[in-house]
Amino acid sequence: MTTGQTATPEHFAASASGLQKTFGEGPAAVQALRGVDIDFRAGEFTAIMGPSGSGKSTLMHCLAGLDKPSAGKVFIDGIDLTSLKDKALTELRRDNVGFVFQAFNLLPSMSAEDNIMLPLSIAGRKPEDAWFDRVIDTIGLRDRLSHRPSELSGGQQQRVAAARALMSRPAIVFADEPTGNLDSNSSTEVLGFLKASVKDMGQTIVMVTHDPKAASYADRVVFLADGHIVDQMEAPTPDGILERMKHLEV
Amino acid sequence: MLKATLKSLMTHKLRLAMTALSIVLGVSFVAGTYVLSDTLNATFTNLFTDVYAGVDVNIRGAQEFESFEFDERPTLPESLLEEVRAVDGVLDAEGSVEGSAAFVDKDGEAIIPQGPPTIGFSWSGTGEEPTNPVKLREGGPPTSPTDVVMDANTAEEFDFEVGDQVGVIVEGPVREFTVSGIVGFGDADNLAGATLAVFELETAQELFDKVGVLDTIDVIAEDGVTQGELQDRIVAAIGTEYDVSTGTQITNETTDQIQEGLGFFSIALLVFAAIALFVGSFIIANTFSIIVAQRTRELALLRAIGASRRQVMSSILIEATITGLVASAIGVGVGILVAIGLQNLLAAFDVDLPTGSLVIGPKAIVIPMVVGTLVTVIASISPARRATKVPPVAAMREGFTVPVTAGRRRLIAGTIALILGIAVLLLGLFGGGDDAASLVGLGAFLIFIGVAAMAPVIAGPLARGIGSPFARYLKIPGRLARDNSVRNPKRTSSTAAALMIGVALVGFITIFASSIKASQTELIEGTTNFDLIVQGQGFEGFPAAVEDAANEIPEIGAAAGFRSGPSRIEGQTVGIQGVDVGAAAEVLNFDMVAGSLAAAEDDGLLVSEPEAEAQGWTVGDTIEMHFQASPPREEEIKGIYERNPLAGNYIMALPDFQDAYTEQNIQLLLIQTSDGLSPSVARAAVEAGLEGFPSVEIEDQEEFLESSAAAVDQLLGLVTALLGLALIIAFIGIVNTLALSIFERTREIGLLRAIGMSRGQVRRMIRWEAVIVAILGAVLGLVIGAFFGWAMIMALADEGISVLEIPYLTLISYVIIAGIAGVGAAVFPARRASKVDVLRAVTVE
Repeated sequence: MTTGQTATPEHFAASASGLQKTFGEGPAAVQALRGVDIDFRAGEFTAIMGPSGSGKSTLMHCLAGLDKPSAGKVFIDGIDLTSLKDKALTELRRDNVGFVFQAFNLLPSMSAEDNIMLPLSIAGRKPEDAWFDRVIDTIGLRDRLSHRPSELSGGQQQRVAAARALMSRPAIVFADEPTGNLDSNSSTEVLGFLKASVKDMGQTIVMVTHDPKAASYADRVVFLADGHIVDQMEAPTPDGILERMKHLEV
Repeated sequence: MLKATLKSLMTHKLRLAMTALSIVLGVSFVAGTYVLSDTLNATFTNLFTDVYAGVDVNIRGAQEFESFEFDERPTLPESLLEEVRAVDGVLDAEGSVEGSAAFVDKDGEAIIPQGPPTIGFSWSGTGEEPTNPVKLREGGPPTSPTDVVMDANTAEEFDFEVGDQVGVIVEGPVREFTVSGIVGFGDADNLAGATLAVFELETAQELFDKVGVLDTIDVIAEDGVTQGELQDRIVAAIGTEYDVSTGTQITNETTDQIQEGLGFFSIALLVFAAIALFVGSFIIANTFSIIVAQRTRELALLRAIGASRRQVMSSILIEATITGLVASAIGVGVGILVAIGLQNLLAAFDVDLPTGSLVIGPKAIVIPMVVGTLVTVIASISPARRATKVPPVAAMREGFTVPVTAGRRRLIAGTIALILGIAVLLLGLFGGGDDAASLVGLGAFLIFIGVAAMAPVIAGPLARGIGSPFARYLKIPGRLARDNSVRNPKRTSSTAAALMIGVALVGFITIFASSIKASQTELIEGTTNFDLIVQGQGFEGFPAAVEDAANEIPEIGAAAGFRSGPSRIEGQTVGIQGVDVGAAAEVLNFDMVAGSLAAAEDDGLLVSEPEAEAQGWTVGDTIEMHFQASPPREEEIKGIYERNPLAGNYIMALPDFQDAYTEQNIQLLLIQTSDGLSPSVARAAVEAGLEGFPSVEIEDQEEFLESSAAAVDQLLGLVTALLGLALIIAFIGIVNTLALSIFERTREIGLLRAIGMSRGQVRRMIRWEAVIVAILGAVLGLVIGAFFGWAMIMALADEGISVLEIPYLTLISYVIIAGIAGVGAAVFPARRASKVDVLRAVTVE
């Protein structure tokens, strides 16, 4: 689906235009997003970075249909999110979006396999065996499928969460600080898997992070400050990112 | 520290309200019971103080012994009246007689209240203000042999006015009277539902077969003579042969009797209130456990900044105390409303009680307050102890949970309580003795505690089993509901345990009732041989003339009228039946163990086998019998028969019974129609023959069993209604636990919503979880209830309740009802869960 730079919103996995988000009212109001325009090409791994309070989480929540923007439009897979009611939005999340969160990503009462299948179970759909095998092999946890989350390491849990996000073949996967709670070995595992899913399976991933090393796995890094996109970087390196970040925080 | 506690209470108003609700309900039942019984007590005390106000001394025949059910006294000779009048200081003395007299309404139906008696007596004195308790409202006193005075309630309800003709049933057929006046009983319209018919003295003496005698003499003192002085002077004049009491003594005697009766009534209600509070204590314990779990970090923070274990413990206990006090105070308020509700509930079951303004004594406030607060505090001790085990470091760690108490210790303690409970229960049931009821109650209590303690161990597998069809057929919400119900077995089981108690008791009562019905049917069918049964509508039976009339009917083969009265034998009060033994042998199947029936045709006694065995009697023994109103008699045992429910334990030859008792009303008349007659023809003949007695009802055997069953069902309904509160509290517990655990699972539910679970699916997930918990509680309850039922029937086998009938369909329907109620309990928590803020759930604080 990579059709080039001049594409209309429908040709992006996700896109946003004139996105604004204000919390609270009157003098106490906080403007988290002050007009953000951004596109995510299909098959691209994008990292969103920014200092605390830059609005990066809010941006991701609005893009993923978890939060309603105050103004502007969001498209996922060509669908205008801002026009959807809760029910349709829920179905969109279920069928077109995958999520990986920082913490509490899995249901403790279910096995790894059941957790991976959860979005499909909720939709009442059966998995395609070939796809299932491919995802499982990519995360490399075939021998751990019957384990409960409490019996898995943090990195393994996060890989299970990533597998779950991929299982319904969503148009886009949003990952919110997926390595925030992990040590560096586990972080490498998870990031490697995310990158592999983009490369090998053509998955589109948007990741919010404050870790330059994590962001360096992405194809592109978008820098956010004070609710604006202030910079972009293609083919990033950790040092390059760190340099930009320093600049931003001044 | 106190400030922190108060703050925590105020920030969780909803949680406070939900916890409080279970206490409010239980406490309101306690308070309501006290208010109701105090009110009734005061109503009756006022009434009787008022009605005896004019009597200074009262003279009655002396009673040999007292009996709660019967009150028969020897009569006084009419000549005594003149002796009393001659005593110095007597202003006036009036004699009166009493008996049973029922009015007939304008449609020819006897007016017989359900329970209260139909009282007939004579107008004492000749004036407008008799010495008896009645007060004239309209018209005048009876002045001719055809005059009758009627109570205001009957007049009102059946539309009688002064001057109307009215039929009255006394001994024989209906007799016509004219209503000469309408009276109240003191200021009340009637006496606690009883009908009152007042006649001229001579008329009453003739009607009640008491010509030349009196039942009671009321004496009025001259000014300046005290009741005590007058009493002494009268005793000096007439001797100690009679009961001479002052007006005050009579008032106290009457009000004491009423208080005793009301005492039983309020104890019965308090038992149900205690059950409700017991169930409530599970909810409280559960709520506080969840609260402690949810506040782990907060408690750890308090510990980290220097709060001691004791301070943490007392902070929870103070929270419980405040919750308990506030809830109990509200409960007392609600209880006053409940008192009014209970009055109406009893009225709905035909227990007619007089109405009066509510009396709210200190007892009605203090006891419920103390009990409610204590229950709350005691229930919160175990959660509070767990709270002290939160280490300060938990404040820093994400996801720390307090270690659950060792499962094995709980299991052992639970098993001990269960075994002890079963032992105590069986001891109470089979050991007999005065403490039987308390032992049974204690045993049941221990069994509940034991099962509740063991429940976390069995709840997991049970909930998994109950939940498996949900998981299989109800897709992902059913699957998650099953998983959630299994996840925290301790919480699931204590929620279910609350319901278990109520369902166990309802299940027990249901099994017990159906066993009684089945046993009754079997016994009646096996031991009787009658075609028709004639019964009165009240407890007083009907006149012996009905038996005579029945014997006149040509289509009748045999008619046996059973009279009954109390007697004291070997120091115990027992019920004696008097019947024509020859006729009784026709209508009942007597299996003689020793001696013969025919031997007791003219005199002597027949005794049932269990009773003879218990007393060590054999045929030919002579026993001494004491009576309330006649001299003791020596009676020879002429025969011993196998247990027979309608015959009872003692049958006295009719001539002897007629000598020993003045009261000859028949309780039960069994009729065998002539051979070869079709039932309908025979019945029509009997109905025609007894037409003159509208106070009796004629039933065939089938109808008799049906109406006996209906009476059992009515009691079952009343008990179930009273247990209803415990069931409601249990369902509030499900609402509470679910709502609190949803709060705990906010992030999980948020995650499910984020990855695409719809609101409807979330609601269904919560709903099925509630249903699983409810069914779990119902199933556990029914198992215990069935055990109680079995034990009870085993214990009562000797009393003739020997058939254990388990109404499976009804019991299964209870499980289904519990499941449906679970759906109801889930409405509010499910709505809350579906509205969980997805964003807040998935973002890290």
